[in-house]
Amino acid sequence: MKNQIEAIIIEALQDLNDDIESESLENPTKETKIFGEEGALDSLALVSLISDLEEAIHDDFGKEVTLADEKAMSQHRSPFGSVESLTEYIELLIKE
Amino acid sequence: MAHHCWMIDSFVEMADRRAIIYRDNLYSYTDLYKRINHYIQIIGKSGIKSGSVVAINSDYTFEAIALFFALAENQNIIVPIITTAPEEIANRIESAEVDWIFTTEDGEFRGRKLQFQGDSQKHDYISRLVSEKKSGLVLFSSGSTGKPKAMLHDLDRLMDGYRGKKQKEINTLIFLTFDHIGGIDTMLRIFSIGGTITIPASRQPEEISRLIEKHLVNVLPSSPTFLNLLLLSGLHHKYDLSSLKIIAFGAEPMPESLLLRLRKIFPNIELQQKFGTSETNAIKVTSRSNDSLFMKFDDPNLEHKVIDGELWLKSKTQVLGYLNASMESFTEDGWFKTGDLVETSEDGYIKIIGRNKEIINVGGEKVLPSEVESVLLEMDEFSDVMVFGEENQITGQSVAVEVVPKTEIDKREAKKAIRRFCKDKLDSYKIPTKITIVDQTNFGDRFKKIRRR
Repeated sequence: MKNQIEAIIIEALQDLNDDIESESLENPTKETKIFGEEGALDSLALVSLISDLEEAIHDDFGKEVTLADEKAMSQHRSPFGSVESLTEYIELLIKE
Repeated sequence: MAHHCWMIDSFVEMADRRAIIYRDNLYSYTDLYKRINHYIQIIGKSGIKSGSVVAINSDYTFEAIALFFALAENQNIIVPIITTAPEEIANRIESAEVDWIFTTEDGEFRGRKLQFQGDSQKHDYISRLVSEKKSGLVLFSSGSTGKPKAMLHDLDRLMDGYRGKKQKEINTLIFLTFDHIGGIDTMLRIFSIGGTITIPASRQPEEISRLIEKHLVNVLPSSPTFLNLLLLSGLHHKYDLSSLKIIAFGAEPMPESLLLRLRKIFPNIELQQKFGTSETNAIKVTSRSNDSLFMKFDDPNLEHKVIDGELWLKSKTQVLGYLNASMESFTEDGWFKTGDLVETSEDGYIKIIGRNKEIINVGGEKVLPSEVESVLLEMDEFSDVMVFGEENQITGQSVAVEVVPKTEIDKREAKKAIRRFCKDKLDSYKIPTKITIVDQTNFGDRFKKIRRR
């Protein structure tokens, strides 16, 4: 499941990069930073990414998840820091 | 002669001229006059007193129009109700304090007294109208949230506004409904000039196009949403619409891109912008030019000003008040805060750009749905779009859009296409972050987009 989630995130980041044209997003990996320190996305791009991911997760896993809510915002470590942290957070939500 | 309602007298003079086309039947002003007198007798026999509040549960029909004028003659407060949903009807009866309701099964209307309302004390606004021996009209706002507001108009004063108009043989399709100020305005205006109104059986592009061809309609008042549907249907190729001289539009902001398309497809038809609110009735406006959405108010009965970008109006024909809501949209000295946001040009023209309730606040940046829609409508991929705000935890709100694709399109492709297209046309915060593919955008009975969901 982890790999599948990671692939969804990477694909979404690549789609977004059509507009952002950031070098770090050309070939995203597990380590790629998303938002916050060294992150490539601004808040609007993050909103887009979240909406894309929520849809993709619904399509692939048949589950409605809300990625940006109180819970996500109050995590000790922001789930949106890197591809890896976001993958873990999404896996958690799907398994809930 | 000399009726309380002056329009009824004027119908006698217009005699054989065509007043109404309904279900492909023609009715002259004499037919209408006779039918009004028939209903005046029924009202007398039923014992409906002057000052009673009387609902007509119907959309426009020849019979409903005759009954409308008969009730105006009897100095009643008229409540047109077009919905057929029992609960909606009950809500309106309660809000407007209705005493009698007229319904029809076989064309002819019959009145029924509503017992539970009785003769209890009426709302102050109604009592005032009754004591002045005037007829009234209750209309409901299409308010996108909460209960519709019931507003009371002085119908005598409203009708007086149409006195002394120049006579003209013109056939106008009555697009807006019997319970809508724009529909009432079309009817009264056309009758005051001795013209003809053509009543459609439905407001679908096919029926409207058919009627224009068959009855040589000259004027089509409508909304941008409807006009977009008409172009989309391609029916303007199938039917001969060459009798049309004027297409009027209002009720919601017109996207510039749609205006340009209309101008190209109908080069010989005058495109006329209209403006009005349920609270003030229709207002006479003049556009700066044929392809401009900037307009000037041209109405001796109206004052206007712009406060913080919002249009404020004060009109002689404005409502007496709401029967079931606070008067907070009116100032103490009688200004009506329309909720419409406008842009003002240096030479004093104004343009409606949106509703203040529909503004999307993206992390403090304001976005008008109509601006984004106008850009998206230039895309080849989509036939219709609707932009609205969606809550999120990061920027408060963000821009979401529903799109109707012309041909089947993958969601991911649609998103990419939108982002690519908007990139150098819109600030990044205005570019939709959420895109949904739908079969049809959400618009109401009045062919006006409903953005709040």
